[in-house]
Amino acid sequence: MIKCPFCQTSHVDGTLFCNECGTYLLDDDQRGTDPLGTSEIGWVGDTAEDPVATSDYRGTGPLAIRLSIGKHKRVVEIPLNKAIHLGRLDPASDVFPEIDLTNDGGLEKGVSRRHARILKREGIVVVEDLGSINGTFVNGKRLAPYLPETLSSGDTLQIGRLLIEVELRS
Amino acid sequence: MNTSPLTPQRSTGKHSSPLSMQPILSHATIKATPNEQACYVMLEISPSKDLPTSRLPLNLCLVLDKSTSMQGIRLQQVKEATRQIIDFLEPEDTLSLVVFSDKAEVLLPGQKNVDKALAKSVASTIQPSGGTEMLQGLLAGLQEIQTNRSEMSVNHIILLTDGRTYGDDEECIKQAEWAGLNQISLSTMGIGADWNEDLLEKMADVSGGTSTYIDTPRRIVESFKATVRELSTIVAREVSLVIELADNVTLHEAFQIAPHIRRLDINDDHKLALGPLGTNNRKIITLELRISNAEPGKQQLMRLNVMGDVPTQALNRQADNWTDITVNVSSDTDAEVVIPPVIITALGKLAIYKMQEKAMQDMASGNIIAATQRLETMATRLLNLGETELARAALLEAGRLARTGSLSSEGRKKIRYGTRSLSILPQEL
Repeated sequence: MIKCPFCQTSHVDGTLFCNECGTYLLDDDQRGTDPLGTSEIGWVGDTAEDPVATSDYRGTGPLAIRLSIGKHKRVVEIPLNKAIHLGRLDPASDVFPEIDLTNDGGLEKGVSRRHARILKREGIVVVEDLGSINGTFVNGKRLAPYLPETLSSGDTLQIGRLLIEVELRS
Repeated sequence: MNTSPLTPQRSTGKHSSPLSMQPILSHATIKATPNEQACYVMLEISPSKDLPTSRLPLNLCLVLDKSTSMQGIRLQQVKEATRQIIDFLEPEDTLSLVVFSDKAEVLLPGQKNVDKALAKSVASTIQPSGGTEMLQGLLAGLQEIQTNRSEMSVNHIILLTDGRTYGDDEECIKQAEWAGLNQISLSTMGIGADWNEDLLEKMADVSGGTSTYIDTPRRIVESFKATVRELSTIVAREVSLVIELADNVTLHEAFQIAPHIRRLDINDDHKLALGPLGTNNRKIITLELRISNAEPGKQQLMRLNVMGDVPTQALNRQADNWTDITVNVSSDTDAEVVIPPVIITALGKLAIYKMQEKAMQDMASGNIIAATQRLETMATRLLNLGETELARAALLEAGRLARTGSLSSEGRKKIRYGTRSLSILPQEL
């Protein structure tokens, strides 16, 4: 028998795809979340399509965001002059998030490679789920994918099962 | 290969089957083990290259919904589509025209050498009124097809509706089954969001036809034309795949992958019904096998035979042309497994289709949470395939499902028909 690395369902030897979740069962690299970055999705580097790269976003509102990540409260402070992607670094599939959550237990906590992004829109800081498997939550409320939600100081952001405290800096 | 395409090849020896088959195995070598293991066979069925490609006469009936809801652009486009089909027909084709609302009416009784001007003017007189009683239309259409059929004709009904039919669903399926048994296939087309996709899909499947989701009236003409063009290429009817399994092998699942994905019913006689086959409509089938007690050496898994009724060939149905499928069994457990990419692509898309099936089942049994999760996972798989549109539709519906406990009628159709047509395969097969 073989076990699906994603949903743990057992399958007969030789099975190629998991019947429950569609995971390809021969690929050792595939461990849990979304396996590949697609070129269609805007990600680090393709600033031409990134609305955040336009000058509007530098003007008003908070200038930076401070995140306390996980139970060890790893603190990251990062300016809000462009979109900040949260996910897991995977050079093989060309995924380079500004905030890499691999070492915060990202895989175990269900963080997708392309999970969410934080950006400033007309002076307001928002977070947007990028269609992650395990979801993005603000103060316990799950966000609809691709639908931005306002972030304020003191909010708890949850990426999969990883908790992050948010503080905005002016 | 080098015979002239103009010389009809009539039974030139018992090995020239009019239909050809190309199998590919997922595992060239399997493990020697008493335990059960899976192995996949993918095959492409197409008309032989030396088969004469003379066009068979069509016996076509359009069965059109003229209920009040069809008023306006929908009916206008249906009329336009009908006109274009009339222009497409050859003199030896037969066309009949049936409209239905609460009752059915034969506007144009079946005739060869259709008077095109007259037929078009009849089509332009259709006025919307009444409700939707599909059975009435279907029965009238079948009647027309029956009176006009010939030995050689491709008998087909195109049925278009925009609404639910009430109370006669089961009878509609029975009639569609009867049609299938009598070499009449149905193309069922639904326009808008209010029709019953379970019913239309079932009717098409049991008769060997195709169901189509038409999301906007602008696509009516295109869908009608594509269907008729497809019909005019048909060279074989009632194609079936006969499977004889070795004693230690069972057939777990069977799917048609192309022209679109659908589950094939496995009967006791292991004969899979595949419907009609056209020259540019190859069929791709995947079979999932379960093998137990594999012993080292060569093992025959099964033998396959494609049968079908090819009207231009005299002796065809008896074609005794079996293909053996054999695999190596090795006790070397560390041997590297190489799966042909074409099989991975096809099965990957099939996996998404099956998740859709399961999500719908979860929902039908009231397990909303499971269904939501499945749609979300499905969306991720779709994103990985670059199917951004469909991925978004799936995510949107997952969100709606979580909030309201049900899918939108439109979203359900989009996902169903979208995952079904994921199967476009690379050419190398």
